[in-house]
Amino acid sequence: MAYPYTHAKEVRLLSKHFGDPEARTLQGWKARGGYQALPRAFELGREKVIDEVKASGLRGRGGAGFPAGVKWSFMPKERTRPHYLLCNADESEPGTFKDRELLRWTPHQVIEGMAIAAYATGAEHAYIYCRGEFFETTQVFARAVEEAYEAGILGKDSMGSGVKIDLTVHVGAGAYICGEETGLMNSLEGRRGQPRVKPPFPAQAGYMGMPSTVNNVETLSSVPFIVTNGGEAYRAYGTPDSPGTKLFCVSGHVRRPGNYELPLGFPLMELIDDVCGGMREGRSLKGVIPGGSSVPILNAEECRDCLLSYEGVVKAGSQLGCASVIVMDDSTDIVKQVRRMVGFYAHESCGQCTPCREGSAWVEKILRRIEDGRGTEEDLDTLVEVTTQMEGTTICVLSDSVAAPVKSSINKFRGEYLARIRTGEKVGAV
Amino acid sequence: MSESSKIPFNNPGWAGNTGEFDLTEAQVRGDDYVGKRPPEGGHPSGASSYPYMLADKHPDAPLFEGPYKERWEKLRTRYPNARSALLPTLGMAQELRGHLSPETLDQVAKLLDLPPAYVRGVATFYTMYNKRPVGRFLIQVCTNISCNLCGGEDVLQAFLNNTGTELGETSEDGNFTVIEAECLAGCGFPTTVQINSRYYENVTPKDVPGILERLKAQGE
Repeated sequence: MAYPYTHAKEVRLLSKHFGDPEARTLQGWKARGGYQALPRAFELGREKVIDEVKASGLRGRGGAGFPAGVKWSFMPKERTRPHYLLCNADESEPGTFKDRELLRWTPHQVIEGMAIAAYATGAEHAYIYCRGEFFETTQVFARAVEEAYEAGILGKDSMGSGVKIDLTVHVGAGAYICGEETGLMNSLEGRRGQPRVKPPFPAQAGYMGMPSTVNNVETLSSVPFIVTNGGEAYRAYGTPDSPGTKLFCVSGHVRRPGNYELPLGFPLMELIDDVCGGMREGRSLKGVIPGGSSVPILNAEECRDCLLSYEGVVKAGSQLGCASVIVMDDSTDIVKQVRRMVGFYAHESCGQCTPCREGSAWVEKILRRIEDGRGTEEDLDTLVEVTTQMEGTTICVLSDSVAAPVKSSINKFRGEYLARIRTGEKVGAV
Repeated sequence: MSESSKIPFNNPGWAGNTGEFDLTEAQVRGDDYVGKRPPEGGHPSGASSYPYMLADKHPDAPLFEGPYKERWEKLRTRYPNARSALLPTLGMAQELRGHLSPETLDQVAKLLDLPPAYVRGVATFYTMYNKRPVGRFLIQVCTNISCNLCGGEDVLQAFLNNTGTELGETSEDGNFTVIEAECLAGCGFPTTVQINSRYYENVTPKDVPGILERLKAQGE
């Protein structure tokens, strides 16, 4: 059964078995070549697994793009204290919907990746922090974990290697900030999910104050391929600075939104026009948010030559984030959509740092005033000033995420704000 | 119902409503794979993740007796200390009672030997813990950016109109509470709506009356 939205240009390393219910079972997954990487990892030994992942150049898929192998190598070599591996499945960045698909279609791929990472980092207990809303997804995943325990893949003696790997499914309760790694650890400890000051970094003092590694679902899903085929094989895809493939979550005003797995460095316009079937009938492109709502908006002009790699999107003036491409056509009301995004951050701010707690709430109020046609031109300067003070002044980057859409939209779509302020005129319909 | 729509998880994404809404709860979960589970569950590793239903609401149910107690004890073994088991414990309490009243929170605090004020502080931080009773069906409509671009607000309005409620209010028959949700991670299939534990994707305003009819029928 072909996954409904495939495209010939896709390179399906992770998403090959999306849409295939058989692949969710242990038996089906083994028949499709699963659980070959984990014994291979035990054969290679910890150091070599980390070297192989380093050689692949795999970068964290959760948004920051930090090299996974390097992150693993920060873990202390001596195990005098318990180590933990934490898988971040608290997917809640607006525009992102890849982890849910990975968990519900290929749960064993995630388990294998987690087991390898746990082994490489010396962790005996791995937790997966699943987003609370994902009831069905967590069900499928928990069933797969049970199967893996029954088959001796997880447990005291993983696949006869003598290595102990425990895995626990933990369910969150609806807080965007728990996707931030230190917020996640606090939440997993039974606290409010408020981020911690770094340093100490998780590799020194993470979950329960013990050395911990936090990786995204997609990062860990890529690990079995790398261990089986070697880091070089992974580098065959993508660009030198952004190797490998990435699930691009395309949403918004395109004909065929969905998850498409493409090599990094893929041209943005080709993704929109070819892979996703172009804009809706009679509409033209207004702007794109290339990496989830926390990154600056690109206008149509900047999109033209943008390549979707970590460095390529930075060159175009934004960030790849978690590759959540939100496409907006000429019917979009930018003022309203920016207000909606800021409203989200105001709701999700954990309230620890004043610039974020007060800033996000006030920015939303000012934007709503402008949207309702009660704004003044000075409001735009106020917005820029407030958001500038929100950048880099807080514990985590949620505050910076408010600044990105506000500043970039005022910069690039100032005309729309001014029209709203001067005449109360709406530019778009949605 | 077409042949293909009988297959669980057969979600064609962008293709619109192709009968997905007609699937039963069991088909969506993929019970053939997930299996029917006793409420105490199987392996402790997944004890915090099921049962998935919040629909059965017994506000006066005792806190963790019988199979629930067994499940809670299993769950407790997976965490290094009592405090770290707080979130899954709150989740189970809500499963049983539908919402977390101040009394429930105190009981949880006692069970885990934590200060009651601390438990309340944690519970109020997370949006998925209902601090007040909600309807039998909690309808969460995503109106964040991707769904908003594709008409999420119209879907929300349709739910409000068809249930005759205001945002966050429970309908008179106690069936429905409609709230606005932040991104549900179904952005490619707008509008995404979560009703209790289940996701409905590609929902348009005209699908709304049908969905509500089916839900009502389910409850009787």
